[in-house]
Amino acid sequence: MESRALCIAAPPLGHLIALERWSGSAVVENLQGAGVKVVFEKEMGVVDFLLPNRSCVLYVSECDIIAGNAYKRKLVRFRNANSSSVQEVVVVERSRLSEQYFPSLQRFVVLELGLTLLPVSDQREAAQLLSQMVHSTGRGNPFRRRSVSRLYEPQLLLLLQQIPGVGGVKASSLLHSFSSLQELCGAGLPQLEALVGHAAAQQIHTFLHADLV
Amino acid sequence: TTTTITTPTNSSTTTAATVCILVDSRCISSSADLVSGLRQHHSVNVHVCSLDSNYFVLSNRMAAERHTLSELAAVQNRKRLVKRVNDLQGLFERACFIVEKDPTKPGEVGRSFQRTLFFEGTLASLVQAGVRLLWSDGVRDSARLLADLAQLEQRKGQAISVPLEVRGQHRQQALQFYLALPGVGYVHALHMVHNFVSVAQFITSSVEAIQKGGGMSRSRAEDTYRCIRYSCDSFLLNTSSAKKKR
Repeated sequence: MESRALCIAAPPLGHLIALERWSGSAVVENLQGAGVKVVFEKEMGVVDFLLPNRSCVLYVSECDIIAGNAYKRKLVRFRNANSSSVQEVVVVERSRLSEQYFPSLQRFVVLELGLTLLPVSDQREAAQLLSQMVHSTGRGNPFRRRSVSRLYEPQLLLLLQQIPGVGGVKASSLLHSFSSLQELCGAGLPQLEALVGHAAAQQIHTFLHADLV
Repeated sequence: TTTTITTPTNSSTTTAATVCILVDSRCISSSADLVSGLRQHHSVNVHVCSLDSNYFVLSNRMAAERHTLSELAAVQNRKRLVKRVNDLQGLFERACFIVEKDPTKPGEVGRSFQRTLFFEGTLASLVQAGVRLLWSDGVRDSARLLADLAQLEQRKGQAISVPLEVRGQHRQQALQFYLALPGVGYVHALHMVHNFVSVAQFITSSVEAIQKGGGMSRSRAEDTYRCIRYSCDSFLLNTSSAKKKR
């Protein structure tokens, strides 16, 4: 049964697949009001909502929390059912009534199960959050790590200036002659002296080769 | 200069061996309550050092930073947040944000925080980018969460177990040198100072030796290895040193 969630393809952009029991609920009404097209599915395992970015959402309501620990089994099944390629998000109703249970719930969901937990105060707020999750897909994530520059020149210039006796000018002339850190490390004292003078050459050589232990 | 603040274990509960958390020296003024809470109530070994920003290092691969709800909700903070996420994810495999309720001043009626669409969008993007979010009611809650996270990492064998003291001028200089390597954080640099006999030994090491000696992930070790062998282009050298002069 649980593996069914994987069989359902992620919805297209701007759409959200909801479990049928949510039809007519405040979440769905507010989602539709926010311009999200909601498609219903009868059976999705333990998933309540499926988003275009392949996120699965499990909704834990105030009632679930107050009624007792049954939802914990559901959470475990939720984690075990989905493959690691999908993002599993648990949306939790954190209201005045469920507030006291929140710390232990967070501990269970985030620390023990390693899932993402997002609190909302009610279904309207949940709809607002879900709609942003739907709409932000395909828009380009500002927080997504930009690919790191593979041009190390500026960083190596700064790195060499950490060596005692080496400033900007010497760092630059060292890299012009030796081009890489590895080559600089292989340079003998006379080679260094010709480039930066006796005192600095001594300092660089000592810094690189002296024992630290 | 670095100082270690160790507190005697005063909790009667059967907690695992004391965990270590590195905090930036800036935290001492901005999060004094939190740091003392960590020491007193959670018997954490809090080590103060100077990191590149105001955050907590919880293990070899995890760091956490505190943000209030209103910080995340403010449009003008976006650029700074993006930089923080990028920097943290550059240095750590796991980056956490502890999202705290805004503190209320004594006598002030706590206004409930209004979640805006922008705020929800920020949450959605943070989750999508892989930032772990933890929700806190205040300083005491945050201290507990930090201690819990550090203990969890310890159970997974990722605890900071490298000696924290770096004695002697030469070693301090080596530490600063390692810290200036791209993608190398404070814990990695500590590992390197203690594990490599000399800077030259590090520079001539294989990827495996860097991974082991630096206590870092394979891909981070590969990046470091690439950086050591990177051959500088003299044209790019000139432009980057010219940029610095301006």
